[in-house]
Amino acid sequence: MIEPGATSAAPMSGPPANVGPPPETVAATQGPASAAPDAGPRAGASSVASGDGSLLELRNVKTYFPVLGGIMRRTVGFVYAVDNVSFDIKRGETLGLVGESGCGKTTLGRTILRLTKATEGSVSFGGTDVLSLKGDDLRRMRGRMQIIFQDPYGSLNPRMPVSDIIGEGLLAQGMKNSKERIERVEHSLEVVGLRADYTRRYPHEFSGGQRQRIGIARALALEPEFIVCDEPVSALDVSIQSQILNLLQELKEKFGLTYLFVAHNLSVVQYISDRVGVMYLGKLVELADVDHLYAAPRHPYTIALLSAVPVPNPKIRKKRLVLTGDVPSPVNPPSGCHFHTRCWLREKLGNPEICSTQEPPLSEVEPGHFAACHFTDDTKEAPEVAEAVVAVA
Amino acid sequence: MSAPIEELAASAEKERDPNLLLEVSGLRTYFHVMDGTVKAVDGVDFALPRGETLGLVGESGCGKSVTALTIMRLIDTPPGEIVEGEIWFDGRDLTTLPDEEIRKVRGGEIAMIFQEPMTSLNPVFTVGNQIAEAVKLHQGVGDKEAMERAIESLKAVGVPDPEKRVKQYPHELSGGLRQRVMIAMALSCEPKLLIADEPTTALDVTIQAQILELIKEIQQRTGTALLLITHDLAVVAETVQRIAVMYAGVIVEQGTVEEVLLDPKHPYTQGLLSSIPGKQKRGRELSVIKGVVPNPFRMPPGCKFEPRCPFAWELCHTHEPDLVELGRADRRSRCFLQTPAGALRRPEFAAAAKQAVRDAVTGWET
Repeated sequence: MIEPGATSAAPMSGPPANVGPPPETVAATQGPASAAPDAGPRAGASSVASGDGSLLELRNVKTYFPVLGGIMRRTVGFVYAVDNVSFDIKRGETLGLVGESGCGKTTLGRTILRLTKATEGSVSFGGTDVLSLKGDDLRRMRGRMQIIFQDPYGSLNPRMPVSDIIGEGLLAQGMKNSKERIERVEHSLEVVGLRADYTRRYPHEFSGGQRQRIGIARALALEPEFIVCDEPVSALDVSIQSQILNLLQELKEKFGLTYLFVAHNLSVVQYISDRVGVMYLGKLVELADVDHLYAAPRHPYTIALLSAVPVPNPKIRKKRLVLTGDVPSPVNPPSGCHFHTRCWLREKLGNPEICSTQEPPLSEVEPGHFAACHFTDDTKEAPEVAEAVVAVA
Repeated sequence: MSAPIEELAASAEKERDPNLLLEVSGLRTYFHVMDGTVKAVDGVDFALPRGETLGLVGESGCGKSVTALTIMRLIDTPPGEIVEGEIWFDGRDLTTLPDEEIRKVRGGEIAMIFQEPMTSLNPVFTVGNQIAEAVKLHQGVGDKEAMERAIESLKAVGVPDPEKRVKQYPHELSGGLRQRVMIAMALSCEPKLLIADEPTTALDVTIQAQILELIKEIQQRTGTALLLITHDLAVVAETVQRIAVMYAGVIVEQGTVEEVLLDPKHPYTQGLLSSIPGKQKRGRELSVIKGVVPNPFRMPPGCKFEPRCPFAWELCHTHEPDLVELGRADRRSRCFLQTPAGALRRPEFAAAAKQAVRDAVTGWET
């Protein structure tokens, strides 16, 4: 147990006393009081920031959607889709982002790419502030960051041949010569394992797996450095899913890509990611190396999430931590810790008041392992953890 | 087909194992469409004893949902047609039952839960109305008692505040609650068989865990038989006793969950299991099933899995294997490797097949 006072006063004061020295980025990370620290976007190395190798640095990113109501369509509230999220992605790394529907993981990916407007915060890509770019600068930046969408049916225009679907981005980036463009399209098709002569076909002529390859080819055609993979395999069958995962992995090695891999399937994320972030109701609640996160999760939500994953081994019968109720509405998130209304740990500890009054900061519980919970000490060797990670870790 | 249907029907009570609640044999459901005939279900046999649980597993388009809809006689004719086969349910053949009779079975003795709880509930009626409707229809009770039963069944599936919920419309409920309402509706008439078609696919993992626990708990409490249809091998592993794996309209392997998932015999099952990602597979390529599911208008002439099978040889290309018994009537595999014809080939494949099983179970082996 920690004394509530340690964390309650101000998020600036950092994590509980027994964990490593709190670098300034803990402040940069969470808490309403921590608005844009003086340290600037390039915060210390031993924090959510991963050091000099960062390609992408997010600081206090907030994306709110207005809720309109009444006859006058006035803003009556906000959907807090992404609420004060900070992390870095190293060059060449795959950062997995997991969470349930509505937790803001997709919105976060889209915010980074400027497909959705951020309300506040900063996103720095290779040293450039993405959120303030305009005009040609923004266009050039879009060529360096691409996205692969979830639905291989909805994301390809049925009235365009493959050459246009993939070539459109090239044209927008100024590749005016059509012969050159077709060559690039054919090359991208081959790279993703499709035949180069598919350029004149239309989306309906392809299977789901092939369409997803076209979506990947479209992202690759511009030779980006960074790709947001937004649930790229969720719509696919298991046997096709593994083909696409292998392809993504191969492309990453071949072209030195960096991925933000957004998915709800925890075993897919475990397979492909180097580090994993867990989101709940717009907040980043835990961030760690993949092996750490799956073997020794520290946030009670992550533990419950892992506990809920079914395993294909009939010999293992997990004793589940079944969360009660549904995810609360992001329009009116619970006070204090957003998770406190469903938290099993809070219940176990006799419903301490701090959970509903103070928002826990994302603090470093072990080197490189961050969790946003007032009681991370109590999850360190909790029996629930061992039960939850059985066969997953 | 062995005997004429009339004859079978007459002697059904005596000849059929009374312990079997559902017995599907030689079932073929085809769809006649403009471009030709889709043989969605092409010779499916399985049996489900009373009070037991069976998982029907396969990828999209393999015919698992059509099988369930055929059992419920919910296939539109045309374009669909039950071309052949029998579905024995509790002493009757559902394929030949008149429409009035099947209506009594449907929703009463056999209930079904669908994947998308939003589209399977009627948006213009309250939840209570929809549950009470089934109760009134099948149990012949009045409005007031039907509504009381509706409240009771919502309580039984763990819906908080059921008195309030019965007056609400589906759009006022979350996905997890809607699925609970569907389950309450299905259970309100105390069915002998519950068919759940991808009941948790549209739900988040924590809600999925809630619903699976609920289905298991209810199955054990009420003793209803369960036919669970899913693409997710992990979901069946936790929920049912036995599995039938479908591919391209036929069952390719069946047995207990332990047998099928820990010692898969059919190359398709092996491939499916080994393509599940996991920690042990980090840093190396996932094994894949090459190619794609065959075009339903151009099914392979021999074994349907032959074009994608790592072990196929000439015989597989020209002949379709039977679903052969592996020591027991309810442990079967549809592969020549398990037949005398394949025995001659087996030595050269033995090592590869062993590796395939090993690959299949890495990642979650303890």
